[in-house]
Amino acid sequence: MNVLVLDGGPRDARGASCRALAALAAAEARSMGHDVTAFELDGLAVKPCQGCFACWLKHPGVCAIEDDQERVLRAMATSDIQVWITPVTFGGYSPALKKALDRFIPNILPFFAVREGETHHPPRYERRRSLVVLGTLPAADEGAERIFHHLVGRNALNLGSVLTRSAVFRDGEGACSADRIGGMLRAAGEAI
Amino acid sequence: MKVLLLTGSPKGGRGVSFALGSALTSRLAAGGAAVEVTAVAAVLRSSEERHRLYRLADEADLVVVSFPLYVDQLPAPLVQTLELLADRRKGAMGMTPWPGPLVQKLVAVVQCGFPETAQCRPAVDIMRQFAKEAGFPWAGALALGMGGAVGGRSLAKPGGMLRNVVKALDIAAASLLEGGDVTPEAAALMAKPLMPRWLYHAAANWGFRRQLRRHGAGKKAFDRPCE
Repeated sequence: MNVLVLDGGPRDARGASCRALAALAAAEARSMGHDVTAFELDGLAVKPCQGCFACWLKHPGVCAIEDDQERVLRAMATSDIQVWITPVTFGGYSPALKKALDRFIPNILPFFAVREGETHHPPRYERRRSLVVLGTLPAADEGAERIFHHLVGRNALNLGSVLTRSAVFRDGEGACSADRIGGMLRAAGEAI
Repeated sequence: MKVLLLTGSPKGGRGVSFALGSALTSRLAAGGAAVEVTAVAAVLRSSEERHRLYRLADEADLVVVSFPLYVDQLPAPLVQTLELLADRRKGAMGMTPWPGPLVQKLVAVVQCGFPETAQCRPAVDIMRQFAKEAGFPWAGALALGMGGAVGGRSLAKPGGMLRNVVKALDIAAASLLEGGDVTPEAAALMAKPLMPRWLYHAAANWGFRRQLRRHGAGKKAFDRPCE
């Protein structure tokens, strides 16, 4: 299976926990025999989405901006398991991860369809896919964590994920979390 | 009353988010408020505009953040801008701490292209969490589904498809001018569907097909260039 790891942590010291989790997730996935593609998003040249919808209406599936996001989009389209890693930012995701996700829309279709009673966009690339989202926080914050898990659930519905797992780690806690991350990846793989 | 409108849309002053945010702040201006406007694209592009944002936020009594829903939450440049404001508040990352005391209330105005306003909920929750972490008193949110139907329509006068939106803006502005928050009545009116969902779907899907054909991409709509 193709496993895509997107590390959305900043490249400075604040991103250390995310880097540790990304390394663990990649190592666990490789130990299970998966092919792993990993990106440190904050180190890529990715411009923000301009909301022009040219990727839907002018040249479907191709973003109007030519930058490093092309590689990320291709890896997203061919992935079976996606692992997103981010500092929990006001309950949501970091700017680096969010920028990559905002630029994901070439991989979905413009048309509206109903999924689980709500309107969503169908995928451009039909593929059974699981989603694992790992957040980091310096200290416990019940409110931020609740928003984070709810947001992951919303993203999972939007992306049509067949199995979704999310977890929030305290900074520095990730190093001893190999079993937990491995368990999430195993479940994600088995669901496909 | 001093008001700052921060537009979180990459389209700046051309989009529905700006139209909604400025429709609220123009009502506040009509009630005597002094309104200043900035946009995240400008803030992130220029250090001069960034420092203008800090100054305006320091001086404001009310900060209105208006934005579109992107992948279930805030657009990335808005998250980055809020991080800058929060870091400054905390004196993090070598920034000069906010001079305080913080009295600026925060209002969020969010719109999404989906017909279900409830899809805006994570974005509203994130804005409320930002307010808590950065120390802004939270004054509520106006969330709108079917944002695509607003287009260039007037938000000044009541009537027609946008009658509830106009009422919501009027009620919210009146409450904010009196020092109150966005009322539950205003939030509920703003959340009402502009038309039946089936009609919005039909109109949107027809519009997408028409635009694809106009751009000569009608037969490429389902292309898979990454395969």
